Amino acid sequence: MLRVKLLSYTYERGRAPALSDVSLTVGAGECLCVTGQSGCGKTTLLLAIKGLLHKGSLTGDIELDAPDRCQEPFRDSVGLVFQNAETQILCSTVAEELAFGPENLCVPPDEIGRRVHSSLESVRLTGFWSRNVERLSAGQKQRLAIGSVLSMSPRLLLLDEPTSQLDAPGKAELAAVLRDLKRRGYALLIAEHDLKPFEDLADRFLVMEDGRILSESNRIPIERFEFGASGASSTNSDARRATEHCWKPRAQLGRLDGDKARRNEPAVATDGLHLSYPGVGEVLKGIDLSVVQGERIHLHGQNGSGKSSLLACIAGAVRPDSGSITVAGKKVTPRVSLFGKVGYLLQNPQRQLFEDTVHEEVAFSLKRLRLPASAVDRQATEALETCEAGHLATRLPLSLSFGEQHRVALASVLAPRPELLLLDEPFSGLDLQQRIRLLRILSSLRDRYGTTVLMASHDLVLDPSWSDRRLTLENGTLA
Amino acid sequence: MRDHTAFRQRRIRTSDYACQYMAVDSFVHRLGAGAKLLIGALLGAAAVLAHEPWSLGVVLALNAGYYFGARLTLSGLWRDTRYLLVQSVIIMGLYAARYGVPAGLWPGLQIALQIGLFFVPGVVFLRTTQASQMMRGLGKVLPYRLSFLVFTSFRFVPLFAREIRQIAMAQRLRGARLSGVDLLNPGNWRDMFHCLMIPLLVRALKTSDEVALSAEGRGFGIRPERTYFDALLAQKALPDGDRDDDAPSGSIGPQASVCGSTDRSAGSKASGRGVARRMTSREDP
Repeated sequence: MLRVKLLSYTYERGRAPALSDVSLTVGAGECLCVTGQSGCGKTTLLLAIKGLLHKGSLTGDIELDAPDRCQEPFRDSVGLVFQNAETQILCSTVAEELAFGPENLCVPPDEIGRRVHSSLESVRLTGFWSRNVERLSAGQKQRLAIGSVLSMSPRLLLLDEPTSQLDAPGKAELAAVLRDLKRRGYALLIAEHDLKPFEDLADRFLVMEDGRILSESNRIPIERFEFGASGASSTNSDARRATEHCWKPRAQLGRLDGDKARRNEPAVATDGLHLSYPGVGEVLKGIDLSVVQGERIHLHGQNGSGKSSLLACIAGAVRPDSGSITVAGKKVTPRVSLFGKVGYLLQNPQRQLFEDTVHEEVAFSLKRLRLPASAVDRQATEALETCEAGHLATRLPLSLSFGEQHRVALASVLAPRPELLLLDEPFSGLDLQQRIRLLRILSSLRDRYGTTVLMASHDLVLDPSWSDRRLTLENGTLA
Repeated sequence: MRDHTAFRQRRIRTSDYACQYMAVDSFVHRLGAGAKLLIGALLGAAAVLAHEPWSLGVVLALNAGYYFGARLTLSGLWRDTRYLLVQSVIIMGLYAARYGVPAGLWPGLQIALQIGLFFVPGVVFLRTTQASQMMRGLGKVLPYRLSFLVFTSFRFVPLFAREIRQIAMAQRLRGARLSGVDLLNPGNWRDMFHCLMIPLLVRALKTSDEVALSAEGRGFGIRPERTYFDALLAQKALPDGDRDDDAPSGSIGPQASVCGSTDRSAGSKASGRGVARRMTSREDP
């Protein structure tokens, strides 16, 4: 179906090649998974196969077994599903979205209707014909993105990190859809960090590093084994050793003393919290939560379970319908400012960065607290070092890599030494090494600042012993 | 005993769905995009020209008939126009401050009403026009690529509304002065541009890159023309089980004829029953 021979590519202003002598084949009804750290060239490889790299220097051959339908430069026998379904979806309703591709290919309207219906069935969205895309869950959006490509009748499907935004059920649904497509003869090429959902689906696994293919195997490469989602850490000794080297065992980090905790004021307390949205219904149903100072909580739940809404309520950004919230001894009301007491790290760090240098970015909150210049400089430097970003102090924040931006955004939130740190899906988009690094940083906060950490994540934590408690939010209630 | 003193009242909340296409069937939905633009232009002109209470009342009634005739709801109207109410209060306040009370109230109310009435036909257009219709309608007066740009920008309004809320929340916790009270002070407007607009602009640029790549990956612009699929009409031909459970019952009429057309021809026609029959087959590679 697809043969790539000695493919090399260098971006227009790139110093090093993004792809170097990459060769691979994918047959009809075969699934190939490509993995590797962020920036290793996975996405570039998919863009090259689809024919979406226009600038730069491309050498090597890409051969497709669809000569009658393969039109250069646009290869309509190849469908590419991008990482971010939210921005891949261009239309307002499901049927319009599925019809967009065939419309561009001048497919007759009655044939488009047939394809739309078929694609809805393939991605298990039958009955969603006129549904507004804003009403879909993350998993449904990802499947819609796949359906919008299927409606163009491709033979080879390329998927770029399709599970990065999905919870465990979403990943399972996606894997089931892909398994069905594979059975029907589609060739699948998946670029992914988390290979566990595709363990039974993929026929071969390729590991990439610095634009080259390092190895190929029929089993999940041991270096890339994902912790957490399936409790897999206990079966992978290499990966477990890697994480043990990265932070001290929990006992050495200072286990939260039960007696001390009981004496402490709760850092966060919610009482009978209710919240609902029009058209969605009640997302929080009487949440009673008490978190003592210094505690590390993992708030677990599926996409749409209300985790982000609960964090937003605690941060004072969303007013609940009823119930009370106390943070650091203060009752949260619209008139109370939590500036300096609560830090909030968004899933995408780009939303929080705006200054000209990393140091200024981190110092922003400190200046607003009207601290003396020496204290501003000292605390900013300390926060950067805590987040292993001291060497980036003079860089432009928006020019950094995703992982570096993530650490800078965390430093900017930690600089005022908040009593409570709220993290919304902090591991999303990070590769294994970056996740380990982030967890190591978060593990040090209790000892350094006594910070209480409340982390919302649909994935299990890399090392489950990191959290003092794991709370599961399900159908608006805490289990 | 639980302390619920902080938040007692259930309040009307913000929603992500203002001015978004609503998939129901109505005579307004069935009008062409050009006809709706014409009606919008006429109602807009009437709103500008109406100054007396009676004439404003007539235009108000016409707009209400147009809006609810499209089977749009009162809650939808609230979501679509609530920000105009803030503007109305400001306008009336300024007139009251300039001319006093009650002399300044009527002129203020008149201007606020005119702005609102000018806005409503546009809302109806967005609420009742599918992307394909919009592109076909705009394609008659704008280049194809430009009409795509216009309709896609509406799709991302809810996304950026969420972005603004999230960025503002995070930046306020970092000390940015972005609350409503803070922004009454022009001295704090710098924070709005610095802490809110810059991250938003960066996100917008990244989003536009991703959107462009997605469109290109799905063949946008590779041919000088395209076909247009009418999802609403095609839906009428579906078996009951395949229709969207989100759409109000009874919104789908029995008759269906044209499912869509090419840009140049009168259109490929297929009976609704035929469409439904052909849709049951599955296409494999």
